[in-house]
Amino acid sequence: MRITTLRTIYSILRLQPRPWPEALAQDSAPRAYWKVPRGSPWGTTVIPANACPEHSRRAGIQARLILVLSLLLFAHLLHAADTPDLEDQTRAISADLRCVVCQNLSIADSPSEMAKQMRAIVREQLQAGKSPQEIKDYFVSKYGEWVLLKPATQGISLLVWVLPFVALLIGLALGIFFIRRWVAKKRSAQPVAADPKLLARVREEFANAETEELDLEDPSPRAQLLQERSRLYTDLNELEFDYQAGKLSQADYAGLRRDIETIASTVLGNLDEVAASAAREKGAERRRPAAKQTEVAQPKPGLRGWQVAVGAAFLLVFGLTLGVVLTNSLRPRGGEGDSITGDFLTGTPTAGKNDVSALLQEGRTAFNKQDLRKAIEVFKKVLAADPNQPEANSYMGMILMQAGHADGALIAFDKALSQAPNFPMALWGKGMALYQGKQDHAGARDVFEKLLPLVPPGEDRNAVVKVLAEISTAGQKPKTTAKPAAAAAPSSSSASAGQITGRITIDPKLKTAIDPQAVLFIIARPAADGGPPLAVKKIDRPTFPLSYSLGAENMMTQGMPFTGKMNMAVRLDQDGNPGTRGPGDLTGDFRKNPAEVGSKNVDIVLDQVGK
Amino acid sequence: MAWRRLIITLAVIAPVLWLLAFGFQRDARYIKTPLIAKQAAPFTVTLFDPPTGIREIVLSERSESTGDARKLSLADLRGRAVFLNFWASWCPPCREEARDLEAAWQKVKDKNLVFLGVALQDTEKDSRAFLEEFKITYPNGRDESGKIGVDYGTWGIPESFFIDAQGRITYKHVGGIRAALVIAKLEEAAKGIVSAQEGKGDITPVR
Repeated sequence: MRITTLRTIYSILRLQPRPWPEALAQDSAPRAYWKVPRGSPWGTTVIPANACPEHSRRAGIQARLILVLSLLLFAHLLHAADTPDLEDQTRAISADLRCVVCQNLSIADSPSEMAKQMRAIVREQLQAGKSPQEIKDYFVSKYGEWVLLKPATQGISLLVWVLPFVALLIGLALGIFFIRRWVAKKRSAQPVAADPKLLARVREEFANAETEELDLEDPSPRAQLLQERSRLYTDLNELEFDYQAGKLSQADYAGLRRDIETIASTVLGNLDEVAASAAREKGAERRRPAAKQTEVAQPKPGLRGWQVAVGAAFLLVFGLTLGVVLTNSLRPRGGEGDSITGDFLTGTPTAGKNDVSALLQEGRTAFNKQDLRKAIEVFKKVLAADPNQPEANSYMGMILMQAGHADGALIAFDKALSQAPNFPMALWGKGMALYQGKQDHAGARDVFEKLLPLVPPGEDRNAVVKVLAEISTAGQKPKTTAKPAAAAAPSSSSASAGQITGRITIDPKLKTAIDPQAVLFIIARPAADGGPPLAVKKIDRPTFPLSYSLGAENMMTQGMPFTGKMNMAVRLDQDGNPGTRGPGDLTGDFRKNPAEVGSKNVDIVLDQVGK
Repeated sequence: MAWRRLIITLAVIAPVLWLLAFGFQRDARYIKTPLIAKQAAPFTVTLFDPPTGIREIVLSERSESTGDARKLSLADLRGRAVFLNFWASWCPPCREEARDLEAAWQKVKDKNLVFLGVALQDTEKDSRAFLEEFKITYPNGRDESGKIGVDYGTWGIPESFFIDAQGRITYKHVGGIRAALVIAKLEEAAKGIVSAQEGKGDITPVR
């Protein structure tokens, strides 16, 4: 808007009556004139009062305000004239296009970024003047027919539109066909051949137009039959009328007449029988009116026993198949251990299954609980099926590392890497095996450098960076752990750079019978802050004296370097459950705490009870 | 007859069950591309850094020099086989293939072949960090508006397109791709051979 217009509006808005003090004090009648403020478009003039009487002053202000506001709105509307229409069109077209990310939503409804970008493209093409069909064709040319929420009415997509109606028609046709057949069956069950003598009687009686008083309420068979007979005669009468009136063709008339006469003859025959066997009780049930005879003629429809059995068996097999197929196609829950709600349908597998991913999950949980025996068993099963399975091999390697067999671990990691060269866990394990197991710094560094780019930025990445830094500094220091092998404690681990090794014995005074379920925990706490344990090693069914080796692979958080001074403690938990501390538990602390990582002969004696 | 009815019932149920089994096995997100053997959609990207090598060649071949030296359009690359790779810094399979792609580029950069990477749905900062991390030297640009992604029907990254010298798409590979395949398909593209099927590797769906 131009500056002058703005100034005009401003000055209009500022225009307001100024109450003259004298006027207010002296009398209520308005003064003779207004004073117009400076800078107004009308200049500094004086307007006589009767030009703007009091009562119209406010009205004048309101009028001006309205004028100004409407000017502003109008200007805005002028700019926005085509936008509502564009938005509506965009939305209409977007509602017909499927979002690539949230694949059951249209891009009008989908919150994903791709949908936003696609909407922008639609709007842009609309502004460029393309028609809705062209825009849809554009998207179809990029993503295929699939991207239209309403399939095109051409080619194979036509089936989608047409098939429901076709199915409806087929259903109706089948329905009519079957009903007709059923009705025809009913009718055709009647005896076709009629006794000619009876037929003759029918015609005779009909000709005589015999009418009887009938008691409609009488339920006895004879009365029913008489009613039936009179009905039939009425039908015959009507038939005659229709034929005389020309409504029926000769063939129809003949056919219908024959039918009715047949029925009537059987009715008469039944009447005779009823009259003849009125004394016999058995007859009453069997001699029913002709209309009901057809039901007796047909075999009673119904399911025989074996049909029911087959149906039930089929349903059972179907249900079982569905259940088995569904549970096998479910992926087991990753991450945590057993599910709380049970394990049949929610995916935690039982031991019997052969599914690789289920076994892997089992192995993972067993490993995390440090139930190494079970973990080995499970992973061996996986490897029996697939010797190069990367994850199983990596875990086996980790277990071997914990046990101190660096060579075996390396073989396992290499097997894993042969199948999946970029498997992070295998690379990490191999690096640690080379670094700590074989003291091969150069090799370890290569492996860790290969691993580094595969790990997205985060905790794990920092761990790898730290280890790499450690390797490069460790390589420069002279090796401090080269003690003669004979004098060293018979530690099962060949590495000592990042390990604490030693022996654990029980105080002879406390040598009680060890519970077969007893579990030994070797706990390392950082000496500096005395916080939670940094590394824990769990040994099932320990036999004493026991040689142990605690290293980086036993750390609570994998990937941190195992360095510095540690307070070493051991605990022999009699019930095997670290959560409960029973009175029979034995504990012991390293006498010369803290121990530096890398030291050997960190021998601990279990000499306290139930702490 | 009871047998006939049973057979008819089975004949109706069995195809439905088969359809169910078939449906469970296919990847629900998979979108088959209609773009193979079609002309590649034109686009222009602003490159992150004017790369060495291909840029100078391209510029020198253009009759008039256009304003921004960092803009590269597909038309500039006409006459060469192009490997077009869509990636993003937040996509793990892209990380896995980045080194492979750089290695492949080092092998073919002296031939008349072009590698061009386009970052989708990514910020400038993250894309640069990605390129620096993997020391990528072939030209890369960023798709700011998302139009290039839609133009090529991307649904899961990384996606790789092989474009021949006339600008026709000869092969599309959805997912992580190996260096050997890249070089093989690029040579096919140079000869103008159109592949019959698209390929599939590990993908991350677009956002």
